Amino acid sequence: MRETKHTLPILSVEDLQIEFRDHSLPETAVHDFDLILHAGEIVGIVGESGAGKSLSALAIAGLLKRHSAAKAGRILFDDLDLLNCPREVLREYQGDEIAVIFQEPMSSLDPLMRIGPQVEESLRIHHPDIDRAERKRRALEALESVGLTDTERVYRAYPHELSGGMRQRVMIAAAMIAEPQILIADEPTTALDVTVQAQIIALLKEINRTKNTAILFISHDLSLVRQLCGRVVVMRDGRIVEEGETARVFADPQDPYTAQLIDAIPRVEKKESAGREQGETILSVTGLDAGYPGHPPRRIVHDVSFSLKKGEILGLAGESGSGKSTLAKAVLGLLPLMNGTIDGAGLRSAMVFQDPYGSLNPAKTIEWILTEALTGGRRRNFSREELHRRAAAALAQVELPESFLERRPAELSGGQRQRVAIAEALIGSPDLIIADEPVSALDVTVQAQIITLIEKIRRETGAAILLIAHDLRVIYRVCDRVLIMKQGRIVEEGDVERVYFDPQEEYTKELLRAAGIGSERDA
Amino acid sequence: MRRALQRIRAYWNRSAMFRAGAVITGLVFFFILSGMICRSWPPTAMDATARLSGFSAAHLLGTDHLGRDTYSRMVSGAGTTLFIAVGTVLIGALGGSVLGALCGYFGGPADEIIMRIVDALFAFPSILLALVFVSLFGSGRYHVIVALGIAFIPSFARTVRGEVIRERERDYVLSAGLHGISPLRIIFFHILPNTGDVLLSAVLIGFNNAVLAEAGLSFLGIGVQPPDASLGRMLSESQQYLFSAPLTALMPGILLVLMILGFSLLGEGVRSAGN
Repeated sequence: MRETKHTLPILSVEDLQIEFRDHSLPETAVHDFDLILHAGEIVGIVGESGAGKSLSALAIAGLLKRHSAAKAGRILFDDLDLLNCPREVLREYQGDEIAVIFQEPMSSLDPLMRIGPQVEESLRIHHPDIDRAERKRRALEALESVGLTDTERVYRAYPHELSGGMRQRVMIAAAMIAEPQILIADEPTTALDVTVQAQIIALLKEINRTKNTAILFISHDLSLVRQLCGRVVVMRDGRIVEEGETARVFADPQDPYTAQLIDAIPRVEKKESAGREQGETILSVTGLDAGYPGHPPRRIVHDVSFSLKKGEILGLAGESGSGKSTLAKAVLGLLPLMNGTIDGAGLRSAMVFQDPYGSLNPAKTIEWILTEALTGGRRRNFSREELHRRAAAALAQVELPESFLERRPAELSGGQRQRVAIAEALIGSPDLIIADEPVSALDVTVQAQIITLIEKIRRETGAAILLIAHDLRVIYRVCDRVLIMKQGRIVEEGDVERVYFDPQEEYTKELLRAAGIGSERDA
Repeated sequence: MRRALQRIRAYWNRSAMFRAGAVITGLVFFFILSGMICRSWPPTAMDATARLSGFSAAHLLGTDHLGRDTYSRMVSGAGTTLFIAVGTVLIGALGGSVLGALCGYFGGPADEIIMRIVDALFAFPSILLALVFVSLFGSGRYHVIVALGIAFIPSFARTVRGEVIRERERDYVLSAGLHGISPLRIIFFHILPNTGDVLLSAVLIGFNNAVLAEAGLSFLGIGVQPPDASLGRMLSESQQYLFSAPLTALMPGILLVLMILGFSLLGEGVRSAGN
C-alpha cells in the first residue's frame, strides 16, 4: 500500500463538462468531473464502456476535437487553463509536459515510419535546439529505459517488425522522451497478453518511481488498477461515483456501483467441491495436430489430447497465438485433421463467439436468426407456430423477454447480444458448446451475468462446454477442469483447484502471477 | 415496410445530399405524373398552326419543328426514359449481384476467370457495348433495355463481389455454416441483405448512368424510334433549331439534368449516410 504524497497538485480539473453536439453519436458525456493530480502520483480512472473515462482523459490531454464537443469547466496546469487557452499555447504542452499512450499500439504508430523518428518526434517539435546525434542518443536511451534490448535494431525497425508488447514499449518510450510531468495511459494493456500486460504495468510503476512522473491510468480492469494505482476514481454514466485511496475503495466501497464492480471480479479462492455429477465421456481427442492447409501447411496445434464428459465445463487457457481458437475450429470440423483422432460420433455441437457484434447477422431479426439456426435453413419442415414457440423458449432460457424476437441486433446491448448468441447455440439442443472468449468483449458487470448464465445452462441442459478464455479468473469461476496451452501444445492439465493452487509448470505459474492470482491465493 | 420507412427517415436525417436529391426527384416525378394526367395534347399530335413556338397558353412549354407540344413530349419521353432505365438497372443489378455474390463467396479459379472477363467488359464504355448489341439485334426500347442491362452487369458484379468478400469473413457467416445452412442460402439470405446500403447506392447511381446511356443512344438515333418521344430524341431533333428556337432543346435538357442530379444526390446521400 502506498501513502498519498502531500506534494503540490500539478493538475487540477474543476467542474469539467463535456457534451457532444452531434446527436448521431451515442449519448456519451461527462458531467461535473473534478480531479486533482499530485506530482508523482498514480491515479486510476475505472468504469465500464460509456462511463466517460476516456473522454475525460482526452479532454485533459487537449485531444478532443474542438468543434465536436461542448465543453465547460477548467483544467489547470501550471496556472494555465488548458481547456480554454489558444491552441498554439496548448501545443506547447502536448507531448512535452503531458503525454498520452493509447490502447492499440499498432494504430498509434505510423506504419510507414521507422521507430526512431517516431520516438524522437516530441523532442524534434518541442526542443528544436537539440541536434540529431543528441536526439538519437536520447531516443536509444528512452528505448533502453522501457526495457527494450538491441535498441539500435529497434530504432531502425518498422512497427510491423515488432510484437504488440514491444510496440507498446515504444509508445511509452516516445511518450517519456521529453520527460513529461504527466503521462495519460488510456487502456494501455487491454490489447496485450497477460504476461506482457504484467510487464507493462511493472514498467509504468518503474517510470513513476524513477522519474516521478504522475500517471493517469484509465482502465476497465479493476484488478490492474488495484495493482498499480494509489488513488482511484470510479465513473459511471459520465459522473464520478466514488473517489479515494485504492486500498480503502476496494476494502470498503461507499457507492453501491463500486461494490457491484468489485463483486463482478471473479475470485480465486478455494471452492467447496460440490461433487458435480458427471456423465460419460462424449468427446475424446487424441494426438491431434491441426492447422491451416496450404503450401506449406501451417501446423499450429501439436499433439493435443483431452476428453470431455457430459455436463462438464472444460477451460482452455493460454495467450494469443497459443492455438486455442485453432483447436476449437479443428474440434468443430472446420479445419482438416493433420494427425490424430477426434472421437465424438453424432455429437451435436454449437459455438458461441467472442464478439457478439459480429456473430449475429445485423440485417435480420432475432426470431429469424434463432429459427434459422434451429432449422439449418430448411424452414419448410417446421410450422410457423412451432418456430415462434421454439425461438421464444430459447430466449427464455437466456432470460430475455419474448418481445426481443422482433428486434434486430443493433437495438441490443452487448450483453443482450451475447445472450442471443448463446440462445442461438442452445436452440439446437447441442451436446457440446464451444465458447470462444464469450465474455472478454463485455463490461465486467455484464461479464458476471453471462458467467452466471453459462453455469445455469450447464445445470439445466447438461451440455458439455469447452470454454476458451485468456482470463484465468473467469476460467476458475466457471470451469471444472482446465487445459493450459502454450505454442500449440498443452503444457498442463487438471482440476482447476489443483492447477491454480498447486501449479506444476513454470508457464502456468507465470500466467497466474501475471493475472495477480498468487497474492489472493496466499491470503 | 416499416423498416424501409425507418431507413429512408434515417437517410433523410443524416444527409443533406439525400434531402436535396429527394426534393429534386420528387419535383421531377410530380412533373411527369401531372403531365400524364392532365396534358391536353397527345405527344405525337402535330399542330400545324404553331411550329417552334415559345411559351403560350395552348402549348405551355412551346412546340417543336413539327408543331408537337413540347410539354406532352417531355412527359412521355421522360416516361420512356425512366422505363428503360428501370429495366436496365433491374437486369444489371440482378445479374451483377448474382454473379458477384457467387464469385465473391466461392472464390477460386472460376472467380478469377469470370472477374477478368468482367474487367475486360468494364474497359469498354457501356454505350459502346449497347451500340454493338443494338446493331446486331435491332433497335427499339426492349432491345435497348437488354443491351444496356447486359452492359451494366460488370459494375454491379464488382461492387457486390467486394462486399461479399468483406462480409464472408464475419462470424455470423461462419456461424451459419456451423448450423448446416447451405452455401447458396448463406449467400442470398444471410450475406446479401447486409450489402443493402452499398447495393442501393449502386442502383441509384446505375440508374443515372442508364438514363444518360438511353439518352445517348436515342440521340444517336439507335434507341427509341420515331415518332415515340424520348428525352435524347428530343435533344437530337431540336439541335438544328438551337439558335432559332432554343426552348425546344432547353426544356428536355433541363429535365434530363434535373433527373440525373436528383438521382446522383440520392445515391451519394445513401452512400454517405450508410457509413
